[in-house]
Amino acid sequence: MFIDIWTLAIALVTAISCSLCGGLLIVNRNAMVSEGLSHAVLPGLAIAFWFLRDYSSPWLLISAAACGLLMVWLTEAFVRSGVVESDASLGIVFAGMFSLGVLFASNYLKNTHFHSDCIIEGNLSLAVFDRFELGTLYLGPKPFYVMLGILLLQLAFITICYKELKAMLFDSELASRFGLRPKLFQLLWLSIVSVTTVAAFNVAGSILIVALMIAPPTAAYLITVRLSSLLVLSVVLGCISAVAGFYSALAMDVSTTGPIASAAGLVFLAVLFFAPGRGLLAARFLNARQNRDTLDCLVLQWIQDSKLSSSESAVNQPGQGKDSELSALRWRSTVERLLASNLITRHDQGFSLTGAGEAKLAAKLADFS
Amino acid sequence: MFELLQDYTVQVVVFGSAVTGGTSGALGCFAYLRRQSLIGDVISHSSLLGIVGFFWLGFLIAGDGIKSLWLLIPGAIVAGLAAMLLTQWITSSTKIKPDAGLGVMLAIFFGSGLTMLRIIQRLSTPIPGHAGLEDYLFGMAAAMTRSDLWMIGLLTVVSFLCVLGSWTRLKILTFDAEYAAGLGLSTRLWEFLMLGLLVIGIVIGLQIVGVVLMVAMLIAPASAARQWTNSLGSMMALAAVIGSACAGAGALISSAKSGMPTGPVIVILLTLVVVISVLLSPGRGVLMRRRSLVH
Repeated sequence: MFIDIWTLAIALVTAISCSLCGGLLIVNRNAMVSEGLSHAVLPGLAIAFWFLRDYSSPWLLISAAACGLLMVWLTEAFVRSGVVESDASLGIVFAGMFSLGVLFASNYLKNTHFHSDCIIEGNLSLAVFDRFELGTLYLGPKPFYVMLGILLLQLAFITICYKELKAMLFDSELASRFGLRPKLFQLLWLSIVSVTTVAAFNVAGSILIVALMIAPPTAAYLITVRLSSLLVLSVVLGCISAVAGFYSALAMDVSTTGPIASAAGLVFLAVLFFAPGRGLLAARFLNARQNRDTLDCLVLQWIQDSKLSSSESAVNQPGQGKDSELSALRWRSTVERLLASNLITRHDQGFSLTGAGEAKLAAKLADFS
Repeated sequence: MFELLQDYTVQVVVFGSAVTGGTSGALGCFAYLRRQSLIGDVISHSSLLGIVGFFWLGFLIAGDGIKSLWLLIPGAIVAGLAAMLLTQWITSSTKIKPDAGLGVMLAIFFGSGLTMLRIIQRLSTPIPGHAGLEDYLFGMAAAMTRSDLWMIGLLTVVSFLCVLGSWTRLKILTFDAEYAAGLGLSTRLWEFLMLGLLVIGIVIGLQIVGVVLMVAMLIAPASAARQWTNSLGSMMALAAVIGSACAGAGALISSAKSGMPTGPVIVILLTLVVVISVLLSPGRGVLMRRRSLVH
């Protein structure tokens, strides 16, 4: 149980820092860069580990993060040379670097963390056993503190450079006119994303990094348009995904990576459908209500305009000309709804508007004019 | 290594890989020119769910673990198409941008595919043959059998006939989709055919290269071929040659040496060809252009 709590804690910190990174990538329309980074850091990790044989050396972090930046640079160099399409160059560069890493690891690093499962999935349950001790005091697993440190670094960077980041994301040309140096901040930011990816790589593996960097921010993007609330929301959704995925993994007795990734996807789908106000269901509901309202007013207007001779003909013949698109069925249901809500009354000669009905129609007409 | 080529199993594997490499290399030209590389990446990752799901369905129905491509490739096609159609639906009905939509589908499909794979591997009564599913992550050309060859052949012939039969239309759609719509082409139908060809170009190679790296097998031959020619026909032919040479050689190297998963070996060969093409090709090549600047 104690171990579970620490595992969950690592998963949560990872989810938070990945979602934060992702929030900015999404806005920058660079979501797939996370896919590239999460693969391209592998050769840096593998080669540094081969030299040092120490999982917790900071050099691993540095060399792998440099590898991530190298990937970004190579991709841009391909694009700048003008001979390869930009998306293709990302695909080729990250696949090539990742292949190098896989081959290196499967030949020189057998029986280590770097076998092919861990590359895709990481190893969250093993991460817990990497103990961080101060003297004799056990403080928890090391990866937790590494991720926490990176999270603090991100938070510091975002709060200090919020204005510059925002300018870089939304209008980098304007930002450079103002002397805000968007290129520099982009480089700084990508370095932080790269470092985050590397740190998360051991515990989460490449797939979970992509899932956590893209799904929660995209869901948040559906709900809000403000950058600050987008970041906060994606962190919240990332945490929900991590907790849900973690416990379903426990229940199914499999490694946590796949379940957390799918949970992130499912949280996105849930937001897509059920978000209040902007979700697809809410939009459909709103649409239906507006349709109904319009229909009501049309019928009210029509009843007011025409003095109907008999109620039967009114119910069965929805009129000619522009009203003829109202099918008999919708006509009847609308009339019944209006009757039920006391907006019109039925009498021998047909229908007439009640006081409430007249008021509603007048209000609607006032809206239009 | 040449004695190895006498071996019947190795012959099957190398031949199958070469055919596969040729087909996905040629079909990848459309994806490359239409800037759909990342779409290819997401389709290939997503197909893991279909592969594992159909393997499991096959077990439920037949009572045995079937790893034939005749079962797994249809699964991959179903999952790949589903992921793509869902992405298109989400990006058209919300304000979500294509890159984010693709990423989310990757999370959902690859995440649940991986979960399902791990569940199958940990069943208390294991399904026979489940261990081979793991190879779909990084590819294992050596697992290819004769009946798999027939499946690869079928896909190759079908896609070849499709491309040949609708050559002009595919060409117009590739270079100017708006013009195609203006001509009265049913864009939805042809876009779907295009998507179908893309999916075939991907699923055909999953056994050899694996879901993680398949995008390179699809895109790299096209990007290399693009440097040497300006016509779609010769670009596809050249991409097919590059793809099949690298895939065949990669499969051979991987069968000759242990600790060499097929996918990464093929991808490294392909990357080398791309780098050489980008640097050296006459006219477009980076080095050549530099020389002409100096003179």
